[in-house]
Order: sequence, then structure tokens, then C-alpha cells
Amino acid sequence: MEDCYSIVRRWEDLHTDILVKIFQSFDIFELTKGIAHVCSAWRMACCDPLLWKTLDLSMLKSDFIMIQLEPYVYVNSRSDKTLTRLLKISLSLSRGNITSLIFHFNLYVNDEQLTYTAERCPRLRRLVLPAWNRIKKTGICKAIRAWKDLESLTMPNIADPPYLMEEISKNCKNFSKLKIMGPCNNSFACTLATHLPKLKVLSLRCSIIEKDALIIILDSLLHLEVLNISHCLLIEVRLRPAPKRVVGEIDQSIREKASRLREFITCTKDSCIMCQRTKNDDGQIRWYRYEEGLWKTDEVSSLAL
Amino acid sequence: MSSSKSNKIVKLESSDNKTFEVEEAVAVQSETLKNMVDDGCANDTIPLPNVNGKILEMVLGWCKKHVDETVTGDELNKYEADFLDLDQADLYGLLMAANFLNVKGLLDRVLQRVADMIKGKKPEEIRRIFNIKNDFTPEEEEEIRLENAWAFD
Repeated sequence: MEDCYSIVRRWEDLHTDILVKIFQSFDIFELTKGIAHVCSAWRMACCDPLLWKTLDLSMLKSDFIMIQLEPYVYVNSRSDKTLTRLLKISLSLSRGNITSLIFHFNLYVNDEQLTYTAERCPRLRRLVLPAWNRIKKTGICKAIRAWKDLESLTMPNIADPPYLMEEISKNCKNFSKLKIMGPCNNSFACTLATHLPKLKVLSLRCSIIEKDALIIILDSLLHLEVLNISHCLLIEVRLRPAPKRVVGEIDQSIREKASRLREFITCTKDSCIMCQRTKNDDGQIRWYRYEEGLWKTDEVSSLAL
Repeated sequence: MSSSKSNKIVKLESSDNKTFEVEEAVAVQSETLKNMVDDGCANDTIPLPNVNGKILEMVLGWCKKHVDETVTGDELNKYEADFLDLDQADLYGLLMAANFLNVKGLLDRVLQRVADMIKGKKPEEIRRIFNIKNDFTPEEEEEIRLENAWAFD
């Protein structure tokens, strides 16, 4: 009678490369469910840097309701705990190897979660969102200070961006790519000119842009190589006769200024569905209304997901 | 009548001394064997000490099926699905063989099958299915327990 143990193969002896190959097909939920807790060999494979270059939490949304008082959003505590647990396991297994961190625009992270995450991703190069309603200025600045290698940021619509740009300019010497998912007015353009003069890539797609802001950007960001204003509502701010006027076409003077750019991406076609959506949503596209994941696209490949 | 395919036969011997003879076109589905054929090392019987007869027969069956032009896409899909319905011991052997012999498509399918068997299961379940021993030290167990807690401290 053969010994059962000798017939049965030792899966824990599987070469790490093979285990890593298997785990590469897992999403973050599957990776953190329990495979790192099976045995020490599997745990080691789970910590392989190949699995942790990118932490993609973009399928995670908060269970929230909007409220009248600051921070204007209330997150269900179970939803918070799920995120906390996911972050704890992911960040523990990642061993500081994460270089890209992706969140969903409706994931309402709090200060503690952000700080915890920032401390464990010291080599972060790219950050995409999350929503910042529950994060204080001190919280986000602390996080930025932990990310010295940050190169690319996709930021949500925030009320008062100058402090953020200032912190980035002080701490992130390699910062060169910015995507804003919100309006761009004159003061924001001035902030970019002041604090991020070396910006190389900028995407403002699907939002409202003041024409003067566009001119400030083109005049001041002398290192800019790529500018994406696809599906934007270009407006001119006037006091009389009407407070604002939608500018249909991009005029020749702007095109001339933009001619030095390597890529100036525009789209203002009436027939374009994204342009229509931006118009219908009054310049602030409501991503939750449309196909899941639509917000991830960008005509600039380095800013797309 | 000339044929564009070589009629050469490749001889293989498994770890348990079973010999198999297959057409070159079948054998070269394996990149490893293809390299041997190209290098001119396939004239004598090729020994495969890390693949047993049962598994080698399965792998060669796979290769034959994939070379057969009379097989339809649907038939092939069904074949592949049934092929991977194995117990974990055979699956392990197949994984080792597919990896070593580098058979197009087979390794990916086996890895996918293993992945599907793991996904969504708790650690105890995975250990049970694959007969894996929990070899964590008490310190590691504690680290894992803390990792799984719902709060930061």
C-alpha cells in the first residue's frame, strides 16, 4: 500500500515563479482573501514585487450619503472597515514596492487611512484620486511629504488647490504629470504657473475651462509638452451682458500659442458624445451617470488607466 | 507524392521507462522538444526524467489534438475543459510537465485552472484541497492575525 503522502504532491514546493504567475491573474480581493495565509512559501510568493507595482482599488466605492455639514459626506462604518482591512493586508504584502496607487472617485478615504497608506508606499510614483472630502489639508500634505518620488497625479475636484501644489513643488522633485477632474479657473492656472512651472503633461478633459486660464497655462508653463482639453467647455468670464459665455471654437491666438506643444489635444465637436455630456452636466461631468470605468480614459496614454 | 510535413518520428521515454513515439509535428508543440529537434538532438530516444508515463501520455494527447486540423473550435474548447478536470495530484504533475516541456497554451490553461481552484477560498480550504501543511511560526501567525484586524492598531 503506497503511503498517501508520497502520492500527494507538495504544492507548497511549487517554484515561486509559478505561484507568482498564478497570483498575477488575481484582483486585489482575491489576493488579500487568504492565499498569503496558506503557508510560508505561498506568503513569500504573495509578497513578490511583481504583484505589487500597482495597487488598484478602483473597483472599491464607499457606501456613503451626502450630508449638509462638513465634510459633506457620511461613510458607512462597515464600508470604512472593509477599506481599512484591504489596505492593511495589501500594504503589508507589498513591502513598500507599490509605485502606482489607483482609487475610485467615490471612495471617501479618511486621514488615518491616507496617512497609513502614504507611510507604506514610500516609492509611489503615480497617484490616482481618491475623493478628498474627508481628508484635512494637514492629512494630504503629510501624505505628499511621504511621496518624494511622485511623478503623476490625477486629482479630484477640490475647492482650494494652492496648498497642494505648493506641497508638491516642495517635496516632489520629479513631478511632471497632472490630470484634473474638475474645473480650471484663472486662480488655479496661476497656482500651476507659480508652483508647478516645470509641468510637462496636463489633462483638463471633460471640464469647464476659463479661456484666460488656458492662456495663462500656455504662456507660463514653458516646459509643457502635452495639453489635453478634449470635451471641455471653454468659457469667457464677462460681467456684461451675461456672466459667462461659452466659447465654441478655440481661436487662432490660442492655437498659435499651443503650436509649440508636442501634443495639443482638443475636441469640441457637437457630434461628440463626451462633449455633449460635459455640456449637459454644466461643465462638471457626472461620471457616476455613465458607463462604469469611463472616467479612466484619457487621450493622453500616460494618464489613462 | 511529396508532403510538406516531415514524417519523422520522435521517441520519448518517461521517468517510469514508458516509451512513446509521436510525429515530429506533434512533438514540436513543446518548445523544449522543438529546440532539441532543431539542434539535432532528437535522433535517439529523448529521456524525460521529470515526467511520468501517465502525465506524458496526457500531454502528448493534448499536442495531438492541437495539431489535428479536423478538430473544430468548439470541440477543442470542450476537450480542453474536460482535460483539466483532474485531481490535484495529477494537476500538479501536469503543471510540472507543461512548465518543463513548455507546451503552447497548456501551461496557461493549467495555471488558470489552479487559479480558479484557489480563488475565493479561505486558507483552511486551500490547504485541504492541495494538502498543504500550515508551517507558520507563532510569530508569523500573530503578524497575520494583526494584518487581518479591522482597525489600524
